[in-house]
Amino acid sequence: MSVNNGHTLTTRGQDLTSSSHRALLEDARKLLKPSTPTRKPQPPKPENAVTIGVSARVMFNMEKEQQIYEQQGLEDYIKYQVEHETQPFSPGPAFSFVKALEAVNTRLRELYPESEELFDVVLMTNNHAYVGLRLINTINHHQLFIERFCMTGGNSPIGYLKAYHTNLYLSADPVKVREALEEGIAAATMFTPEKMTEVSETQLRVAFDGDAVLFSDESERIYKAHGLDKFFEHEKAHENKPLDHGPLKGFLEALGKLQKKFYGKGQRMDCPIRTYLVTARSAASSGTRALKTLRSWGLEIDEALFLAGAPKGPMLEKIRPHIFFDDQMFHVEGAAEMGTVACHVPYGIAQRVARKGINDKETSSSLK
Amino acid sequence: MVSTIQNTDVKQKDSARAVVVAVSSRAVFGSGAGDGLYGMGVAFPLLQALQRVNERLLEENPAESLLFDVVLITTDSQQQQQSSSIISSTRHYGLEVSRFCFSSEEDFIESLIKNNVQLFLSTDRNEAPQASQKGVLSALLDRHVAPSEQLRVMFCGDAVVQPDTGPMPASRQAAQSFSAQLGEMRRRFGMLDSPLSIVLVTSRGGRESCGGALRTLRSHGLSVDEAYCLAGAPRSPILSVIRPHFLLSDSFSCLED
Repeated sequence: MSVNNGHTLTTRGQDLTSSSHRALLEDARKLLKPSTPTRKPQPPKPENAVTIGVSARVMFNMEKEQQIYEQQGLEDYIKYQVEHETQPFSPGPAFSFVKALEAVNTRLRELYPESEELFDVVLMTNNHAYVGLRLINTINHHQLFIERFCMTGGNSPIGYLKAYHTNLYLSADPVKVREALEEGIAAATMFTPEKMTEVSETQLRVAFDGDAVLFSDESERIYKAHGLDKFFEHEKAHENKPLDHGPLKGFLEALGKLQKKFYGKGQRMDCPIRTYLVTARSAASSGTRALKTLRSWGLEIDEALFLAGAPKGPMLEKIRPHIFFDDQMFHVEGAAEMGTVACHVPYGIAQRVARKGINDKETSSSLK
Repeated sequence: MVSTIQNTDVKQKDSARAVVVAVSSRAVFGSGAGDGLYGMGVAFPLLQALQRVNERLLEENPAESLLFDVVLITTDSQQQQQSSSIISSTRHYGLEVSRFCFSSEEDFIESLIKNNVQLFLSTDRNEAPQASQKGVLSALLDRHVAPSEQLRVMFCGDAVVQPDTGPMPASRQAAQSFSAQLGEMRRRFGMLDSPLSIVLVTSRGGRESCGGALRTLRSHGLSVDEAYCLAGAPRSPILSVIRPHFLLSDSFSCLED
């Protein structure tokens, strides 16, 4: 930050959007009170926080290193990493999501300085600690607020996810994601889109598919077994019966709890968290049951988009979420093609129904 | 009075190169020597893990001299009366123990020093700190650890201190030379399928603390396999997943939660 002859304050040439404006004010306050030591905020206790476990490969771009691992093996991979220890990785697909979480934390700390109800990002990787210094250097370089990590040296991270009360686990490895889901932890496989559309730095936007993500896959089963007409009939008949919950319901709930903290201070219009339902259900018919279910759970969703079977990519491109969860690879790929960071939730009946032309990116052993 | 008996069942190690680990017999054997044999105690899986490391080291190089040299220390007067049971139990279970040391509670540190002990392991909350104060690297054995085949050695990062200008206390010197030897042993194996894993846990500090500890251990010749940075999160849930055989630290506050 520089002060030019006392006129304008600029932060490294960025536009004065509201987040950098806030950062400016904070910096100015520090300048004016030199005696106040700038204390790094302490990470919250895991049981109070919304803990997000992120693997190294989705946090950062480790494509080159992954290639070395796959082609030349573990020893060469480690050697390369150690040789390049001082070279920070560039951002991966989860990076903007994590930055947005930090922006929300800043706002929460302003409103509730004593509260520990915050996001806590834990780097959860089964890399060896030999890669540790490069990862720490990278976190420092990008000024991320990640103080907790687990580098399991090849062991499964699942036990640690539980020990940290993890609310959401993101990884590039579908095997670990499935393991986490089986243990009742919300999890999704994150893919890197070819291009990444710009997303907000001040408002966290999370988009969810409905069936088999927020809701169970019970209705999807009917659709798959008996077709669309039967599906509509069934949904209409059971409109007032709430659907069972899906693997990501808890995460939506956690987001809702934080949203209410902003509403409580009169910041509903300016809330830095926004949630979206992007579903193939139709507004006129099957969508009703979805909304009624959410209401019965006491959960709100900011925007519900009923696409009646239309592709999700273009809609997501307009919304610009930091992250989108879907149980079907068809939709995940469609979203990624248009620049959205899309994650696959390998849950429910859709996983057992093979779809033509879908490329399953499973690797039996991969490092993240 | 200190007396040492060699175990003739076991080949004696090269005293110049071996890493001498003393374990209190009270920790290795359980209660009561009914029919002359003790039951398996808390430290039993540890001894088996140490043994496995030796076996793998010898597989890599049959002439290997950098091996664990296990000594059993008996200070308990009751157990001393049963010294023959200790020896026969050791043989019965096929434990690779080179020597048995019998001493009084006042003399046991002397017996540690006499036997060139580089690491002393005990379940006794008094013995371990006492030995440490006299410059013998000591650690408390975890009573609750579920045995794993792999020897898992945990370092508490908060106590891995940056090198300072003052004279180094004997215990820190002992820790550094042990780290160097452990590091050398670890390098005999590859990244995967190692019988030995080095674990670092930083309880209170954040990533800078952990990064500092990784660098310090590396400067002592020890590369870490697994690193956990807790930044104030509760330790016991994490420890129960890590399952270390023992924890190394300068101070024993590392063990409190």
